[in-house]
Amino acid sequence: MADTTMGTATRPALFLRNATGLVKAWSTFDAFVYSFWSINLITLGLYGMSYVYTVPDGQVLAGILLFGVLVTFLVITYAMLVSVMPRTGGDYAWQSRVLGGGPGFVLSITGWWFTLFLWAPIYANILVVQFFSPLAYTLRWDGVATFFTSQTGIFVSCLIVLAFVSIVVTMGMETYARIQKICFWIGLAGLAVVCGLLLFYSQSDFQAAFNREATSLFGAPANAYQGTIDAASKTFSGASFSTFTFGPLLLLLPWLAFYLLWPNWGATLYGEVRGAKDIRKPFWSMFAGLWVTVAMVAVVVLLINKTIGWNFYQSANAAYWNNLFAVQGAAAPPVPIWPYPVMFAGFLVDNHLFQALLIIVMGLWFFGWAGTLFLSSTRVIFAAAFDRVLPSWAANISAKRRVPYGSLVLMIVPSIVISAIYAYKPDFTSVFLDATAVLALTFFATVVAAIILPWRRKDLYDASPIAGYKIAGVPTISIVGVITGLFLLFMLYQWSFNPDNLYGTSLQKTPNSVIYFVATYVVAIAIYVAARIVRNRQGIDLSRIHHEIPVE
Amino acid sequence: MTKLFFATDLHGSEVCWKKFLNAAKFYDADVLICGGDMTGKAIVPVVSENGHYSVVLGGERQTVTAEQVSDVEGNIRRKGYYPLRMSVERLHELDQNPAMRAECFQEVMLDGVERWMNMAAEKLRGTGIRCFVCPGNDDEMEVDEVVRRAELVELGEGRMVDVDGFSMISTGWSNPTPWNTHREDSEEKLAERIEAMAAKVPDQSRAIFNLHCPPFKSGLDEAPAIDADLKLLHGGRALRPVGSTAVRQAIERYQPLLSLHGHIHESKGATKIGKTLSINPGSAYEEGMLMGAIVQLDARKGIKSYQLVNG
Repeated sequence: MADTTMGTATRPALFLRNATGLVKAWSTFDAFVYSFWSINLITLGLYGMSYVYTVPDGQVLAGILLFGVLVTFLVITYAMLVSVMPRTGGDYAWQSRVLGGGPGFVLSITGWWFTLFLWAPIYANILVVQFFSPLAYTLRWDGVATFFTSQTGIFVSCLIVLAFVSIVVTMGMETYARIQKICFWIGLAGLAVVCGLLLFYSQSDFQAAFNREATSLFGAPANAYQGTIDAASKTFSGASFSTFTFGPLLLLLPWLAFYLLWPNWGATLYGEVRGAKDIRKPFWSMFAGLWVTVAMVAVVVLLINKTIGWNFYQSANAAYWNNLFAVQGAAAPPVPIWPYPVMFAGFLVDNHLFQALLIIVMGLWFFGWAGTLFLSSTRVIFAAAFDRVLPSWAANISAKRRVPYGSLVLMIVPSIVISAIYAYKPDFTSVFLDATAVLALTFFATVVAAIILPWRRKDLYDASPIAGYKIAGVPTISIVGVITGLFLLFMLYQWSFNPDNLYGTSLQKTPNSVIYFVATYVVAIAIYVAARIVRNRQGIDLSRIHHEIPVE
Repeated sequence: MTKLFFATDLHGSEVCWKKFLNAAKFYDADVLICGGDMTGKAIVPVVSENGHYSVVLGGERQTVTAEQVSDVEGNIRRKGYYPLRMSVERLHELDQNPAMRAECFQEVMLDGVERWMNMAAEKLRGTGIRCFVCPGNDDEMEVDEVVRRAELVELGEGRMVDVDGFSMISTGWSNPTPWNTHREDSEEKLAERIEAMAAKVPDQSRAIFNLHCPPFKSGLDEAPAIDADLKLLHGGRALRPVGSTAVRQAIERYQPLLSLHGHIHESKGATKIGKTLSINPGSAYEEGMLMGAIVQLDARKGIKSYQLVNG
């Protein structure tokens, strides 16, 4: 029987024998790709950044860099949690083991289960504005483009997203991982083309190209470039890229959270693979995913400023959204679709086939990413079902195709209902804007668990590789957790109480949102209490699931 | 009513073994069953030089005094490794000589199992709690003899035992793995091994199949896909069913009341195969966490309840 030694060339540090499960180190690159997709700079990033016109004095480039620094603390906190408790099911498991079974279930299930319903229509809207609409207009399929802006069109888009996600889950992660890699490389090539176009053409070239395509594709009157700025000026005072004021900079952070807050999205998955206990792997994969994206966003933003023009780009965003949300005094922009920088870059080449191809290639940023919509949610549902808090069928997997049909049903059926509400009830818009905030609250609960971990679960902490990481005698995980917690608290405060309702989510201005989210917490509490009662009758004590057995 | 506590794949974690023994009192269990793979996977050399000891753990080299070395050794055991004090010369000798290393491994492992058996005797004496151990595919054959000699631990491998009126058959053998471990058989031979025991069970509705390897495509057997070089594919996200078809066929054919499995640490879960409740409680031995299953057996109803716990 073969065995091996590990260590330096001069001195072995470990003698290993052949035993089951001793696989070689997992690829940090694979984990990086997952993290990179989670903070998808095109799909989520451009969509999220189209709202920053609401903070016209906020310097986006500085805001992105500041956000990157602050989220790095989140990355460190999660990497340390993975290192202490790998293979444990992510936020649900960390919270339930440190904060207790009830709080852990309620706080994580509201984020990873109930709030993920809201992300299906958000994904669908992104699919419409970044894929269906621009592609249809470019190919002169105006009827198709118009359909996808109708209520039914949006609902159909939601169904397409849910069908895509279901197919991906049914195909299995191995197949999807292959698809992701293909999308990753082709998507990067597409981004290089977009950046190249924006780099080598001038702003006057772009103005001419925009005016040409606005007339050609949308029937807009001459000089649509200036027309867009004029339309926006009814409700928007304009934006300058060089303005720098610290206060507005901070107000940008909750908008940037829409895409930059998720490098830890795959933390549950990192925890399930070997080698995750070594903090360097989860840390570097998330850190690289975050900072490569930050660097790319910086490049894209600089190129938009150079070639498209910052004031024009923000005016186009303001004109589009303010008209859509029927802001008082808003005027319709001459080009009636969402300002998609990829489409704008394509305009620089006077060839509709090329433009369509560029939109399709950049659409791979969506399809490579959207399949993971419910992945983390199914893991959380599995974990809760194994704990007997949810019925055991919730963790069922079909024998033949390995489809987790129990958890999929629990995700997809409510998502269809929520999608219909999104499409047909515009009064509920604020609920969807809150989708980021509720996930941030879930992260906050995990961060609190991380802060108190060295004392609440001293056994686990002392046995972990991070036990020696201390600053002035205080565990590093607690220190980085406090910094992360303050950062998340600031954003939660702004989302909930911003006096100008900047994010469309202030509690006093959005009663529907308050009712929805209070209801989700009440439902989560009710499920947990009901589970305690039912299981107690079956002779199962849920309170002891995570109680530690004494060692001595 | 009989309450079982089942845990598996402790892989040398002394903390997990101590928790396993204490689980009986903690969960009011009448019977403890350890499903296999008790022995550790690695020796961590604790090298004596210049009046100090140096050890590399988690990629970091530590140098400690003679007074501190026992704490370090405890920490190593907690992770499921075997600490072994040695000189620099002995270290290089083991490094250079695979046969000597294998001999050393066996000695250290059997000492560890012996120590665990003694702990069990101390903890369980006078309690009336029965404790079964069935070595798994990672455990060398010599482990059986150490368990057989134990005062209060019963060896499960290859036999049918009565557990409060329920018949339990056990084997720690698995289908072939990429690691070529100690107790691996072809599916055909594994089927024969199980058949030899299962055919003797008088009443399958009161039978427990304690089979280390989980049934194929049961959801309890999903392991990260690896390539020929044992590297994880797709960052570990690609999972493959690696359980045994022989185990699955035995369960489908005999439909025991309960089947208990381990082997695939990542594939914690419970599922029904026909009438049989099949459980793999998973393993997180490296964290010092004992993952287990509590099963309440009722003489009339069969399984009254089950629960997966992390202690």
